[in-house]
Amino acid sequence: MSSRANVINRVVLVVLGLLLLAAGGLGLALSVGAFGAWRATYPVLPREVSTFPDGRPWFWWAVAGVLLLIAILALLWLLTQFKTDRTTRLDRTTNARDGSTTLHASALTTAVEDEALGITGVTSVSANVHEHRGQHVFLRVELADSADIGEVRTRLENEVVAHLREGVGDPRFPVTIELLPGASRTPRRSVT
Amino acid sequence: MTATNLVNRVVSALLALALLLGSLVVVVEIVAAALGRAAALIPYPEWTSWLRTHSWNDWIVTAVLGALVVFGLLLLLLAFRRGKPASLALRSGSDGVDVTASRRSVEKSLAAAAARTTGIAGASASVSRRAARVDARTVARSEPGIREEVESAVRGHLDSLGLERRMRTRVDVTTKDTR
Repeated sequence: MSSRANVINRVVLVVLGLLLLAAGGLGLALSVGAFGAWRATYPVLPREVSTFPDGRPWFWWAVAGVLLLIAILALLWLLTQFKTDRTTRLDRTTNARDGSTTLHASALTTAVEDEALGITGVTSVSANVHEHRGQHVFLRVELADSADIGEVRTRLENEVVAHLREGVGDPRFPVTIELLPGASRTPRRSVT
Repeated sequence: MTATNLVNRVVSALLALALLLGSLVVVVEIVAAALGRAAALIPYPEWTSWLRTHSWNDWIVTAVLGALVVFGLLLLLLAFRRGKPASLALRSGSDGVDVTASRRSVEKSLAAAAARTTGIAGASASVSRRAARVDARTVARSEPGIREEVESAVRGHLDSLGLERRMRTRVDVTTKDTR
């Protein structure tokens, strides 16, 4: 799942929430007579408003245009829900004018998973390349109850991450490691 | 993904779908009206006359406006709610390496660490951003000092994780009813 989608959702929910709150709040203020008791007895749709589009053929087309824009934005918002940060290719291009270099992510992630599984206490590993604020490798490591977490971390950072960075040719390539301590009682060698 | 983000995603997908379909339906009605066709999907002549005959202080109008306010507040609550974190940051030893621990796994491992204490029959744990709470159960009448032992085991396990932020711990020991 995309972390960008989470940010977009929060922003859109705030905008919609504020719009509904403002519309409902102003309407309630009007209905309790906050803008004058006489206004509270006015019809919700006064005749001058409902007859405004008469003789103005552009009005409904303008409304349709705005609605189409809302529909497009809603469709983009909907599609955002199904996007993930995962990518299948690593872009290792150094100079775009000389051509582009891409690396199949699966080649790298399989090697990382195999190496991490060799560490005592590690029961399961999954590695993926994510595209969020630049590319980075996300490593999810399940540990046995008996695992020495400090030792596992040291070996992951000093061996697995070091080899991964050698492989992509970038000594500062970002890596995120998520540890799942106590994920299983007995070590088993499997890759998720 | 945290439960909060999952709820936000479901609500967002439903709202986006409602906005998309609602907008398209109204556009279809506008085009149909321009072509001289009668209302097909929305009975807008009836809606217009209803809005003309009801005033702002009608109870039904007030109720709808109140519902709008409540719905708006709910959306704001969803947007600003932080909820429990999906993972906890650990101290990083190398440049460019972020290390985290899954909160659910930390809870499971804390419960296991507490359950390994002699005299403890079972335990459960819950972890928030700043605190860990462990409920441990003893089989028989608890030995004096067992709570301190469990707390020490929990504290030791948290220290071994190397959390970036020090966490408060709270341990409750109850005697399991064996009747």
